[in-house]
Amino acid sequence: MAEISFPLPDLGEGLIEATVLEWLVAPGDQVERNQPLVEVETSKSAVELPSPQAGVVARVYGEAGEKINVGEPLVVFEVPDDTAGIVGTVPQEAPARRRVRLSAVLDED
Amino acid sequence: MGAGTLDSTSPLLHSQIHEPDGGSVLRPVLALHGFASSAEMNWASTGWIGALTGAGRRVITVDLPGHGLSGSPEEREHYRPSRIRKAILELLDESGVTPLVDADPASGVDVIGYSLGSRLAWEFGAAAPQLVHRMVLGGPGAGDPLADFDLEGARKFLSEGTPVPDPVSADLLKMAQIVPSNNLEALFTLIEAIKEEPFRPAESVPSMPLLLVAGDQDELAVSAPQLAELNGKADLLLLPGRRHANAVTSRAFKTAALEFLGG
Repeated sequence: MAEISFPLPDLGEGLIEATVLEWLVAPGDQVERNQPLVEVETSKSAVELPSPQAGVVARVYGEAGEKINVGEPLVVFEVPDDTAGIVGTVPQEAPARRRVRLSAVLDED
Repeated sequence: MGAGTLDSTSPLLHSQIHEPDGGSVLRPVLALHGFASSAEMNWASTGWIGALTGAGRRVITVDLPGHGLSGSPEEREHYRPSRIRKAILELLDESGVTPLVDADPASGVDVIGYSLGSRLAWEFGAAAPQLVHRMVLGGPGAGDPLADFDLEGARKFLSEGTPVPDPVSADLLKMAQIVPSNNLEALFTLIEAIKEEPFRPAESVPSMPLLLVAGDQDELAVSAPQLAELNGKADLLLLPGRRHANAVTSRAFKTAALEFLGG
């Protein structure tokens, strides 16, 4: 298994930190891509951060009420070795592969 | 996020329809955002649209006049709560919402509002009982902080930097200023229109079942129990440790709303 760290993303409009409101996942949880991970509050608004990828949550950073700076670790995922990219990047989804039959050949397959 | 979104702009309200994967056989949910917010800030980035479409619900979001992707007309009449409610009714009609029929789970509409959106929902539900099945009102109060807003003080603060004496007005102004894309003049025009048509919840009371939800530290919603009493069959859920500004993301809020609207 390999670990992938997901830092607090840039939340836009010059915001440099966010306060953890509530974790929606815990270490050991299997999460899917886009599953809500955590609610955080910035000076502008409260937002729910979706998971950038599927994996098992290894660690989370910041208790409710704690501040995290943009770029600091937020959550670490455990993923199978062959899906781990360079730490800090999100692995690309495999491109869709589909065979397209250009002409009907009845005896094929 | 749903399988697709469809944008439309009526003269007054920009709206989007968010479809769940596989379409929906249930009545849609109309979502009304709060003052100085937008459909994007109030419902999308907070995870609500994903939660609702994930439960198989089609979501109709609107941006209020002077907010989000809607225009910011100069004339005050466009910002009147009565004018906004009329535009919402037209929008629902165009979106194919049909009057409630007992046996048809696709008929009518459910409404979810936050803050100013809850005020508009309260009045809309009272005026359109033939359409509205159930409503979830977030951060609701029986008072009207926008009608009481110190416009003169706010303008003085902007031109001369003198602090706004009324703390609620100061907070609302700060909220409005913190989003760079907000058009303060349009928001002030909305406040002027609201002063002419303030929220008087006892004058028109929605009769359908309501779920009222607020942070237990939400000072704008301390009077929510009065709304519950007026309606007579409302559930009131208080979210521990949450305030007006941060209750909206709450998972407990979403779970309760989905359960209530599914009932």
